[in-house]
Amino acid sequence: MASRAAPTTHSRPPSAVAPGGLTRDQLLEIYRYLRLTRTLEERLVALYRQSKVIGGLFRSLGQEGESVASAYALDRGRNRDILSPLIRNLGSMLVMGAEPIQILRQYMAKAEGPTHGRELNVHFNDLERGYLGQISHLGDMVPVMAGIALTFKLRGERRVGLVYIGDGATSTGTFHEGLNFAAVQRVPLVVIAEYNRWAYSTPPEKQFAVTDLAEKAKAYGVPGVTVDGNDVLAVYEATRFAVERARDGHGVHVIEVKTYRRKGHAEHDDQHYVPKDELDWWAKENDPVDRYVKRLLQSEWVEQRELQAIDEQTKAEIDQATDACVDEPLPPGDSALEGVYANPAVLTPHWYRSL
Amino acid sequence: MAEVTYLEALRQGLWEEMERDPRVFILGEDVGAYGGAFKVTEGFAKQFGEERVIDTPISEAAIVGAAAGAAHMGMRPVAEMQFIDFISCAYDMLTNYVATARYRAGLATPMVVRGPCGGYVRGGPFHSQNPEAAFLHTPGLKIVYPATARDAKGLIKASIRDDDPVIYLEHKWLYRRIKEQLPEGEDLLTPIGEARLAREGKDLSIVTYGATVWKALEAAEQLAKDDGLSVEVLDLRTLVPMDDAAIMRTVEKTNKVLIVHEDTRTGGVAGEIAARINEQAFAWLDGPIMRVTAHDVPLPYAPTLEDFVLPQTEDIVKAARWLAAY
Amino acid sequence: MARIDVLMPQMGESIAEGTLSKWLKKLGDEVKRDEPLFEISTDKVDAEIPAPTAGVLAEIKVQEGQTVPVQTLVAVIETDKAAAATAPKAAAVTAPPVAAAQRAPAAPGGAVPAAAPPVPRPSSPVPPKGDGAETAEERLRRKSTPLVRKIAAEHQVDIATIPGTGFAGRVTKQDILGYIERAPTAVVVPTAPTPGPQPLAPAVEPWPGDRVEPFSKIRKITADHMIMSRRVSAHVTSFFEVDYSRVAELRRKHKAAGAERGVNLTYLAFIAKACAENLRKHSVVNAAVSGDSIIYRQDVNIGIAVALDWGLIVPVVKRADELSLSGLARAISDLGERARTKKLSPDEIQRGTFTITNPGVFGSYAGAPIINQPQVAILGVGAIEKRPKVVTLADGTDTIAIRTMGMVSMSYDHRVVDGADADRFLADVKRTLENFPDGAI
Repeated sequence: MASRAAPTTHSRPPSAVAPGGLTRDQLLEIYRYLRLTRTLEERLVALYRQSKVIGGLFRSLGQEGESVASAYALDRGRNRDILSPLIRNLGSMLVMGAEPIQILRQYMAKAEGPTHGRELNVHFNDLERGYLGQISHLGDMVPVMAGIALTFKLRGERRVGLVYIGDGATSTGTFHEGLNFAAVQRVPLVVIAEYNRWAYSTPPEKQFAVTDLAEKAKAYGVPGVTVDGNDVLAVYEATRFAVERARDGHGVHVIEVKTYRRKGHAEHDDQHYVPKDELDWWAKENDPVDRYVKRLLQSEWVEQRELQAIDEQTKAEIDQATDACVDEPLPPGDSALEGVYANPAVLTPHWYRSL
Repeated sequence: MAEVTYLEALRQGLWEEMERDPRVFILGEDVGAYGGAFKVTEGFAKQFGEERVIDTPISEAAIVGAAAGAAHMGMRPVAEMQFIDFISCAYDMLTNYVATARYRAGLATPMVVRGPCGGYVRGGPFHSQNPEAAFLHTPGLKIVYPATARDAKGLIKASIRDDDPVIYLEHKWLYRRIKEQLPEGEDLLTPIGEARLAREGKDLSIVTYGATVWKALEAAEQLAKDDGLSVEVLDLRTLVPMDDAAIMRTVEKTNKVLIVHEDTRTGGVAGEIAARINEQAFAWLDGPIMRVTAHDVPLPYAPTLEDFVLPQTEDIVKAARWLAAY
Repeated sequence: MARIDVLMPQMGESIAEGTLSKWLKKLGDEVKRDEPLFEISTDKVDAEIPAPTAGVLAEIKVQEGQTVPVQTLVAVIETDKAAAATAPKAAAVTAPPVAAAQRAPAAPGGAVPAAAPPVPRPSSPVPPKGDGAETAEERLRRKSTPLVRKIAAEHQVDIATIPGTGFAGRVTKQDILGYIERAPTAVVVPTAPTPGPQPLAPAVEPWPGDRVEPFSKIRKITADHMIMSRRVSAHVTSFFEVDYSRVAELRRKHKAAGAERGVNLTYLAFIAKACAENLRKHSVVNAAVSGDSIIYRQDVNIGIAVALDWGLIVPVVKRADELSLSGLARAISDLGERARTKKLSPDEIQRGTFTITNPGVFGSYAGAPIINQPQVAILGVGAIEKRPKVVTLADGTDTIAIRTMGMVSMSYDHRVVDGADADRFLADVKRTLENFPDGAI
């Protein structure tokens, strides 16, 4: 199995078996990321219900396929392509090299976490590894990623930026301004528009008047395509195409992935507004991981036992990561005063704190 | 008399105004079918219809702008910001358009922008903000901030009936944590611009609003018990227009004042209050005007960090004790 | 061996409590990590809560149907099965890991503390430095706070001579009030400049056998004020005789009812009421002089001089014209009582606009009191007693009757109050007293 540390290449090796030129090892690696995403989130749910994760928990159940597949199409490694994940793109972060223990620490507000307890959820970044976590204000990451892609262009680097945007977030002003800016500047930015059918409780009919998010691309003068978001290989291929196109200097490309958010907006949302049979259908008939497994097995690219081994290894990996950090301390209170500015680096506590 | 939570009282107030005045309508994200992220508008869409409880796209600027337009035409919209932290997305519309409409164009804009604010809930930097200072200095906007269930109800009703645009800040930590007996069958209104004496005292005054009213009351109890100090607590309830007379009355009574709020220190409302006290009641001061506020940092997520950054009851006790001994 | 706490989780920011709806395991059951342990119900959502660790359910603290705040201890899991088999002792709760000295890595550039807020720390008084430059604490001891300066100015008290118990040894409100009460001032003194140079008093020497007593503080203040007042104002005194028979009758009539309500309707109360009503009408008598201007006071605040063992004090009834007769009586009595027991607040001996003094209580027939600066008039009340008076009967014949009579004498400042003003005022006061309406009690 390919190690996560080594960057995987994307030229078409003679051992390629699957669409998009993916080798067997790569197919298994993708499966590993899918399984890792799902297992890690299940562990996070358990930790949330044990009050170890506080704040909120937002699952990507049903969307792991498009997160993993799209990120996998990027050039990964140190200082290569950069993506900006939303809260339901944990899979993409793992693909870019984020470690489960970092995710766990971040959620549990541990002192050793990537933001030292300052931010919650997956709102953290590693620009060298290639991911830039969001802030809660949706749409804001589009202009930011446009700026990052702009520097690639200005510096003549063959690097690409990729940004996720939910169907609800395409209604924000910053989405519009960011995408327009990126388009007119012709920066190497791929936009993955995730049509997952729910913005909290708001369905697409209340969110916009287009049928497909890809139609919005026309307003910005950039190409837009719609892809079955729960078909891992289709998403990979579409993204590969857009990414390489951007890398060759052809500017922005929008890929709409049609998928489905199978859990509530967050753990405290019981989704009573979602028709139960709709949920059941997506769970039973259209789970991206199930479909991927079926495809792999039916095409005889991999064997069942290989997948099982990955399942067990993944579970052990998550257990190990959890045990390693679950009892770690929270950051000391006064560390809150550091790093507001570069200079002064530390602020002083208020006058009454030393009484 | 029924005992209701702060959230329930707010809901009652909204409901009563919707019933009373057909021009009132609600717009915001997830307010209709879902009943609102915190369930404030649960049951409203069913009762009043989808045309009066509108589920909007994620577009705060459009929400506020559309509310303004509707208000010009005689409606009384109540725009919800799902978390008040997102009001920043509507800053341009609110400060440039809505606040100035009457002054520059004679356009009445009777609308309310409301949303859950405040921390102590481990919500991190974007689900815990107190944005009042950002709007305090903008002429043309009123700002109210209830601390009790009764005022949650009284102020939402008063805000809807007010002819000026009102920003209504409801504290999410208080939503379900405080309960109060409210009289039934009355049109419960809290006048905008009027503070409330939450506790009488004679040795020292605490001027505050929002969730810190409760921390101030806790501190006052402790100080009475441990130090024999008699602390007066003034709940401002309205920030714009501020009740200067009530503030000066308490300063003249006790001669020592501590201003407490959850917002950061620099540029926070306490500075404005201190300046006014200096101007209007200087001769009555027997000690410096002191403040207890959050530290000037973005609000962090970890419990240890949030607890450090935000003002706690113990901080108020220590500060008051120091000032009393001055 | 470890006992792991299981807490009521927080499922949403505003959720404060949860109900344990169902236990899925029994006491003593083995549980696996993440295995559902119990069900909860909250305002927003129902959920199954998984066990945080593998082990045995050793203690159940919350029963089905119970509603508890979030973070409440719900159960304890014993990770060592053997230990769980023994009788449960008092829960040795594993304390949450203490935030270690592990700090977040310091930001580059080193820690530069921001400027500390300029608040002096509480400390014991520091003796002044010899270098001449005054420190903040020295200044505080010398000048204290605005409120204390205000009180000091009005009582002509030097802050530096008062011992301070406040921060840095400064004089507090309590310190100066206590000082004043122990050596109360005779009158409220403004910082009006004395006109002209001080005339020299002749040198006086003690003779053998004489007893020399240096002025007490209050004596000094009184002496200075009296001289200053006569120097500042052009004193004229007007004398009126008042027939108090009607007032006496009303006093008799309402004495019992008044007593029941704890109100003593004194002559002074009636006089104060009559003055209060008429001061509104004759506003120049309720005024003050500032340079070349007359300040017509908006409020009618009547000071009632109280003779104490150690001197004179003048507590003030604020807005006396807004009080009823009973209200005035009560206020006067209360102020007098608190003056005698030294419980007046600074507010209560300031901002008078007119003063009433009552030497009649000692038997004086009439007096010519000195104006209480910065006011322009002071009313002296002479002894009230039965005297003969000529009355004209209905048929026009004159006869001598026994009436309750007394003199009132008002000294006033002829710089701004003319004789006609003063006499018109006094005539109205006399008329009010002699025709006092019954309903106004």
